[in-house]
Amino acid sequence: MNSSSGAGGMATSSSAGIKIVGAGGGGGGGAGGSGGGGRSWPSTTSVSASGKRIQREMTELNMDPPPDCSAGPKGDNLYHWVATLIGPHGTPYHGGIFFLDITFPGDYPFKPPKVVFKTRIYHCNVDSTGNVSLDILKDSWSPALTISKVLIALVSIFTNPDTYKPLVPGIAHLYSTDRAKHDELAAEWTMRFAR
Amino acid sequence: MEISDNVKKLMEDGSEDHDDSLEKISEAFICCVCLDLLYKPVVLACGHISCFWCVHKSMSDLRESHCPICRHPYYHFPTICQMLHFLLLKMYPVTYRRREIQILEDEKELGCFSPQFNGPVCTPQSEQELNNVDSSQRSEISSLDLSNDPSCSSNGVVLFNGEQLQSGLTGQENLRTSMGGIEATNTIVDHGDKLHHRSANGACQTISVDDALCTLCNRLIYRPVVLNCGHAYCESCIVVQPNETLKCQKCQSAHPGQAPKVCLDFDNFLEEQFPVDYALRRSAFQLNPSCSQQDSATTCSSEATNDNSHLLTSSGDNPLSWWGDHKIHIGAGCDSCGMYPIIGDRYRCKDCVEEIGYDLCGDCYNTRSKLPGRFNQQHTPEHKFEIMRPNSIRNIMSRLLRGQLGDPSAAPSVSSDDVSENPANVVLSVSDDAQETAESGFATPDETEEDQSNHQ
Repeated sequence: MNSSSGAGGMATSSSAGIKIVGAGGGGGGGAGGSGGGGRSWPSTTSVSASGKRIQREMTELNMDPPPDCSAGPKGDNLYHWVATLIGPHGTPYHGGIFFLDITFPGDYPFKPPKVVFKTRIYHCNVDSTGNVSLDILKDSWSPALTISKVLIALVSIFTNPDTYKPLVPGIAHLYSTDRAKHDELAAEWTMRFAR
Repeated sequence: MEISDNVKKLMEDGSEDHDDSLEKISEAFICCVCLDLLYKPVVLACGHISCFWCVHKSMSDLRESHCPICRHPYYHFPTICQMLHFLLLKMYPVTYRRREIQILEDEKELGCFSPQFNGPVCTPQSEQELNNVDSSQRSEISSLDLSNDPSCSSNGVVLFNGEQLQSGLTGQENLRTSMGGIEATNTIVDHGDKLHHRSANGACQTISVDDALCTLCNRLIYRPVVLNCGHAYCESCIVVQPNETLKCQKCQSAHPGQAPKVCLDFDNFLEEQFPVDYALRRSAFQLNPSCSQQDSATTCSSEATNDNSHLLTSSGDNPLSWWGDHKIHIGAGCDSCGMYPIIGDRYRCKDCVEEIGYDLCGDCYNTRSKLPGRFNQQHTPEHKFEIMRPNSIRNIMSRLLRGQLGDPSAAPSVSSDDVSENPANVVLSVSDDAQETAESGFATPDETEEDQSNHQ
């Protein structure tokens, strides 16, 4: 057996030089013909494995949504979602509503979804363009994780920022040295951007 | 959140195409990857179950893979557990049929197929169930009626006859009569339990203890473990000799690494499904603990065991070291033992016409394994093999990755080792290195991070 069986492997997230290698392995097409590329998203009519899985997640999320979160497709495209998080009590983000864009790759769930904050937030794990540094969205991703679990993880970094792997080191530094000042700034940003 | 009409419709369609909603699937048999009923279940060494394709697609073609649930590292793609396969087919015929059609479509598109089972005993039965979905539904309804009828539920005998009838329908009578003794030991309380289970679980009425027997002791499997070859045993029936590889008693194929861990989901299901038989097994087991050689560390835990791999080299904490000194065939797996990617010698069949090919690792080539291909290749023992060199372009990759590891002190020495170790590539090495410098910018930060995660 070889990699042509659609494992997709490294071909997707990498750039030109590495893609050649992937093609050498037999050009793994994603299951269900949706293509493992993630560049052009399959339409909603696709019955690919990834689409089925996303549908199942959507049904489950509607039936049993995690606290303080909601998520669903943006429009007709099943692979493009919008999510909202509500700043939890006891954090400087309380009272804020944060919008996120979630993009599923064509070979989901074997590759993690891309999550971007659309609402500005003062947080050491979210940079000014909205990128999030969360291990389970990168190298620690597992196909057994779901959007619901990702949202729970995101809410938990509101309460416990990961200062060891910050995206904005300045904020992380302030968090560990002058927590009061950090919280004050974060609350101010929440007031300004997230209401 | 507003959901557009189109998507709403889609959701409804999605639920409508499950005309199998009558079958309430036990949580234990929902695949964690596709969130659907397990299809052609594979049990990993850590005891977690997933579908054949879900496991295969989750595997890394570069390095060791990790269980999606507990991240336990593994190197071999296990064979489908046929016992579970037929158990699921029997319990959820409609859903399993839907899954089969759906996966077959995907496979046709992919041009690559999962193993097809046509065992002499199982085929007629499974085909009958597949073709006569209606009849199985009818029997399901009739038994539900039985279970709803209070007069019947108080009378175990009536129900027992009903069961016999049903099993006759599915062509299992001969098997069942041989095991009649066990069935007869069931008390009325047990039937009460079963009834309860049935009403909660829709279609679970057709399975019996005979469908979950240990390969070795031929009794209801107790604390099941599944070997790399897909054969299921009681935990206590597996005897691991120190310094000896574990071998399947049935097919004689070696189980790589340590003894597998108990498949707890399946174990819980069995306890629920056959409370009396399970309790008997447990008490027998507790009375005679001598037959249990180990009760330590065989349940699943998420802790990564470092000693479970003969592949790890001495410098086990270097993320790439486990294939640093070996020839690695990225993206190629052994069709016998399932090692993926193949490390060491790789033999490729010259006569198999399937696009996916048929490969063996050095060990399996030498032992002349008779297992069929993992992807339904029509391989025969007459086929000829050729030895494959690791793809040189892929070795560039490996060097690239090593260069990206962010360990500047180690990187140069490693790459020079590499050149001297692989004389076959020496000719290429000059251009390789040139390419390496030219392409080193291409490796994405993603990959670096992946490596570091392995490191942790």
